[in-house]
Amino acid sequence: MNLRILFKSFRLAFRARKRVIAFIIIYAILFISVGKGLQAAMMTPGAEWPWLAMAFIVATVYAILISQFRARDIAILKCVSWSNSEILLLLVGEVMIVAISAYLVVFQLSVEILGIVAYFETDFGLLRDLQELIVVEAVPMLWTLLYVVFLQIPGLALARWRAMKIPPMRALREE
Amino acid sequence: MANPIIQAIDVNKEYGRGKKTVAALKDVNLEIFPGEFVAVVGPSGCGKSTLLHVLSGLEAPTSGRVLIDGVDVTLISERDMPKLRAQKIGFVFQSFLLIEDLTAFENVEAVLWPSKEIPKEKQEAMALEVLREVDMLERKDHFPRQMSGGEQQRVAIARALVNSPPILFCDEPTGNLDSKTGENILKIIARLNKEKKMTVVLVTHNEDLVKYAKRVLRMKDGRVTSDR
Repeated sequence: MNLRILFKSFRLAFRARKRVIAFIIIYAILFISVGKGLQAAMMTPGAEWPWLAMAFIVATVYAILISQFRARDIAILKCVSWSNSEILLLLVGEVMIVAISAYLVVFQLSVEILGIVAYFETDFGLLRDLQELIVVEAVPMLWTLLYVVFLQIPGLALARWRAMKIPPMRALREE
Repeated sequence: MANPIIQAIDVNKEYGRGKKTVAALKDVNLEIFPGEFVAVVGPSGCGKSTLLHVLSGLEAPTSGRVLIDGVDVTLISERDMPKLRAQKIGFVFQSFLLIEDLTAFENVEAVLWPSKEIPKEKQEAMALEVLREVDMLERKDHFPRQMSGGEQQRVAIARALVNSPPILFCDEPTGNLDSKTGENILKIIARLNKEKKMTVVLVTHNEDLVKYAKRVLRMKDGRVTSDR
């Protein structure tokens, strides 16, 4: 694996600021929803499937969207001799950085809320509502991250297939 | 005499199907030798850009063969094509085709990122060296949107040169530039041809730029009508 391309893809992802921030927020909501769903499903076996399906759909849609957004860049990189596997690495990097950033955002948010609740020793009001809404227990949260990463694989395979189909000539046709 | 570095044998290129078929290239036979500066000129729609795309392997011909340094590009798999491009070909396009989210330096260096043989420090040094050659070192941290057309084209030239390919394909490189900037770009390309002995294939509809070429191919209706 070419780590240089992977690290460059992180930087490239953050240059597309608006899109990446939007998807970090979407992924953060996804992590909270799926985490809460898995937490609830611990009591009711089988209840996790709708949540996993949702994670699968979001992860796949995002992977496909990246290949769409990056179509021009992919065509240019093919013109300058990048192979399909190197281009896939660029897409994987963007997906990874968004998923990890969203996870860290939710984690940090949970820690902050728990800290504030503990500090003020409050048991009601807005903070308690926020805690109910956002904070997910550590174990389901970790499982959620693993599930999202795993469920990303089919989406990335699809993104690779789409990227493969983009001819270098596409960049020229858009002139 | 040296072997041709680019060879087109009975090349035809058609677009569309059935009754809507348009022949863009008709029975093109061509040999280009190492170190030549070839200009391909002709009116709009005569097939000159298609010829460049076919010669460079960006598009496959409908029939015929294209050889780059003895390798038949029509037989090369999609998998092996990037390797050939990396070793033999540099491109300069009319609309620069720089990646908007990368700086000038990164756009140039990106060509080398896939190479595991060249260490990071050397990649950076190579990118800086070619940026210096096109006099863009001071603008290396600027994004394409922060540069003028002429500057973007110079970065595109640096990108084409960074892996020292023996062939440079230029598709209307001055098409989006004013005449003075266009002349400057052509001077850079002519200098590279002279100093680095690069083979240059330049497609243009601008007759004023033909003076830089040592050989001029004229095209009409998909055929090469004169070669001198």
